Amino acid sequence: MKKGKITITITIGLACFVLVLILFMQFKVVYQTDITSIDTMKEDELRTELANWKQKYNETEEKYKNTEDTLKKYKEESSSDKDTRKTLEKEIEDAKLVLGLTNVEGPGLIITYKNSDNIEQTINQEESTDKYIGATDLLRLVNHLKDAGAEAISINNQRIINKTDFAQINDTTYIKINSKRVSAPFEIKVIGDADYLKGALIGTGFVSDQKKYGQTIEFEEKKKLTINKYDGNMDLKYIEE
Amino acid sequence: MTKKSQAIILGMVCLILTIGICVQIKTVNNNGTTTSANQELNNLKSQVLKMREKYEDSYARLEKIQTELETTRSNITNNNEQLKILEEELRKYNVLLGTTEAKGPGVVITITDTDPKDPIRLIIDNKDAVVHNTDILEVVNELKNAGAEAIDVNGQRIVDTTAISCDGNVIAINGEKVSSTFVINAIGLPERLSTLKRPGGYLEILEDDAHIKCTLDKKDKVEVSKYINANKFKYAKTIE
Repeated sequence: MKKGKITITITIGLACFVLVLILFMQFKVVYQTDITSIDTMKEDELRTELANWKQKYNETEEKYKNTEDTLKKYKEESSSDKDTRKTLEKEIEDAKLVLGLTNVEGPGLIITYKNSDNIEQTINQEESTDKYIGATDLLRLVNHLKDAGAEAISINNQRIINKTDFAQINDTTYIKINSKRVSAPFEIKVIGDADYLKGALIGTGFVSDQKKYGQTIEFEEKKKLTINKYDGNMDLKYIEE
Repeated sequence: MTKKSQAIILGMVCLILTIGICVQIKTVNNNGTTTSANQELNNLKSQVLKMREKYEDSYARLEKIQTELETTRSNITNNNEQLKILEEELRKYNVLLGTTEAKGPGVVITITDTDPKDPIRLIIDNKDAVVHNTDILEVVNELKNAGAEAIDVNGQRIVDTTAISCDGNVIAINGEKVSSTFVINAIGLPERLSTLKRPGGYLEILEDDAHIKCTLDKKDKVEVSKYINANKFKYAKTIE
């Protein structure tokens, strides 16, 4: 009777041992398949990467065709000085458009960007998270807009061009854009695809982040809006020919 | 302990173990497509490489035809003074657009993620030890404030339409990925540009807060890359 009990115990013990062993083997396999789930993540990345290069390729090809057309116009044997002048002027117009040296019109957005209505009262209370809109906020906003393909931007009628900088003058109210003072509320005009532009500000969390500080951002889609040109100095001093 | 309760306990242990195994097997089955996924992945990888090559070819051709355009333009306007004035105006605009390489005095700035061996890594957040797109954005903004006339970051020229965005673990500039160490070339008055390394400046904040390594060197000659394949505008039109 006693011998029989020992056999049973050993048998059950062995069975448990085998089961535990199998369990661990399974764990190992599952651990390895976790790596493939990282692989599927990489696949997504690869797909975006592919789309990126494709887009860049298409853009370059388009640019190539445009350049080829312009070159042809210059090279046409029959072309007179008058024709050459026309082609040159067209090239200059195109360059000025991108540089922000012309008044432009097109579809886009008007963004109203404001401080919290009662910021004066709340700013001194300790629990308040309200914050004034600063140069960094505008810098990031403009960067998001450019990322979404904005073609022309102005803030309180200051045209944003490549050399535009945003400087905080004091802690609260004054910001300098193009060395001119601006202050909230800000009216930001953007030309581009309204859905993309809006998406860039909402999708990246910019709008909700700024809301936490009591700031408000409102959008108004426009079929047509105009943005004034930059009328400051464009001279270069340090770039050598 | 009675025989009955012993049997029940043993039975339960076996049941739990069996359930455990079944759950595991199910999980493994769900992920059973490892090999075909790998094949697809490799396929995708080669597609990416091919597309990239195609782009590089296309870029090289664009570069060539742009040089040809410049010489043709210059030759054709050589014997007409009025046209020459226009040609020179256009050339200046192209420098401003960043479609030509630029040379001149300036500074070279490098910014490197915090050294993984630096003890400060123990007390700061991991996300503070890496350079973010917003950091590069702030530095570029300070350079513009100091009057920089041409800037590039890891070979990507900052042009009118350039965005410096966050792309997962890396930063994308002009849609191309760049990562630490960041080398920023800027043309302008070296004395003014070197004020970026001032107490309270953004570079010093990066160094103080997270030991992100920043260097700044004044140079008599800095070379800034060009960016030739900027998008053509689709929405904005010039009006008078």
